[in-house]
Amino acid sequence: MKKSLTLMMVGLATFALNVSGPAKAETLRVGMECTYAPFNFKNANGELDGYDVDVAKGVAKIIGADLDFVCQKWDGMIPALLANKFDLIAASMSITEKRMKKIDFSAPYRISVGRLVGSNKMTTMLFDDAGKPIAANFKGLRIGTGRATTYSHWFEAEIPSAEVVLYDSSEAMYLDLENGRVDMIMTNPMKAFLKFLSKPNGKGFKFVSPQVDEKKYFGIGVGIGMRKGNDALKAKIDKAVISLSKDGSLEKYARKYFPFAIHNEKWTQ
Amino acid sequence: MIIDFPLIFESIPKMLMGIGVTFQVLLLSLVLGTALAIVLLLLRISGKWFLAWPSMVYIYIFRGTPILVQIFIIYHGLPGLDFVRESIFWPVFRDPFGCAIVALTLNNGAYISEILRGGVLGVERGLLEAGSALGLSLRQRFLYITTPIAIRLATPAYSNDVISLMKSTALVSTITVVDMTGIARTIVAETYAPYEIFISVAIVYLIITWFIQKAFGALERRMSRHVRQETAT
Repeated sequence: MKKSLTLMMVGLATFALNVSGPAKAETLRVGMECTYAPFNFKNANGELDGYDVDVAKGVAKIIGADLDFVCQKWDGMIPALLANKFDLIAASMSITEKRMKKIDFSAPYRISVGRLVGSNKMTTMLFDDAGKPIAANFKGLRIGTGRATTYSHWFEAEIPSAEVVLYDSSEAMYLDLENGRVDMIMTNPMKAFLKFLSKPNGKGFKFVSPQVDEKKYFGIGVGIGMRKGNDALKAKIDKAVISLSKDGSLEKYARKYFPFAIHNEKWTQ
Repeated sequence: MIIDFPLIFESIPKMLMGIGVTFQVLLLSLVLGTALAIVLLLLRISGKWFLAWPSMVYIYIFRGTPILVQIFIIYHGLPGLDFVRESIFWPVFRDPFGCAIVALTLNNGAYISEILRGGVLGVERGLLEAGSALGLSLRQRFLYITTPIAIRLATPAYSNDVISLMKSTALVSTITVVDMTGIARTIVAETYAPYEIFISVAIVYLIITWFIQKAFGALERRMSRHVRQETAT
């Protein structure tokens, strides 16, 4: 056993030498929580897995770098990056103005959007082909969403005539949707899928709208974080993220966990 | 701690948009609760055990459990029962406002019933005996002697209950009804200023209480005007 392992290692080493060729690959250390399924987590075999991990691996492959993953608690993520404990953050971190004061972000590789969930039987056209809501068709429909969230702000500004019911917990909201107290709910599609649509209770319900992603309300999305001042690296990573989006890799990564893509699909057009 | 006064002045008008809902919940559950209370009272003093007992059990249950728990059972619990969702009452229970009215009515009916019973028990025996001597029937004695006196005796406790019900209406904001407290909670979630906002809404409730107190004070004075005339002359 031991012997075969050694043999294998030697084999791997020669193989690695062969492919990496003369130029030694740069090693990038990537920080993440390692506990945030299905985005970054340890799978049953103890290996790191998830959407963030796949994106980091995809980017590394394109820019020709090796990866080292570092597990880091969320509240110390940015300080650890600044203290050079690792070089990149791939931890489902949303791009916000406050964070951009301290660190740089790559192009977004995951969306921050809202989507409506309603009954399977619903046939009302709520959005036109350009993805704009048709306010008149929201008449008479009750829509549940979180109190003081981007979703409720979007409704207030874009469809002020809609009858919006505000909730403090998503469980109560799913329950009222099931019971028919609200006709639709507006929420984060990933959460809605994991917590509701993929469960027995969510049978009979589906997404009834396209992704609503107006930047003004929903922000830009989730990006790879890095220390400020390394513009060459940022340019390389940006390019890599966009090419992962264009060649369908991002969609492939997402479909391991969700029946839909979770990046901005408009880039591929 | 610095109090953000402009924020208070900005939010009070917003919260007042919920005053209509607060009053609707208050008045509807007060009227319906009083009607329920009268029925419960009549059962209770009927003198027949099979009528009195259900009434006592009802009052015990609804006075003995927290109103918030009753609201949650009615709002979150009832839709789980298929026969409720298929019944003709579903439009009432589907609507959070309907659930709020039902819960506050059922709860408040139990309290008011006991208040009225206190009034009935306070009527002097001698007056009823006098009525009987005059040849009034049991029913006539109840309608013309017991009822007016009992109402007068029960009014102070009843006004206390109205104030307490008015404050209980704030609980309906937990089941998505947009009353004044519901609006206040949304503003708090937007501004992260719980101190300013909840104090503002508390002040609005205080003002409403003041009006209720004044109204009942005037009513009590009017109902006891015969007593005052006696002392004046």
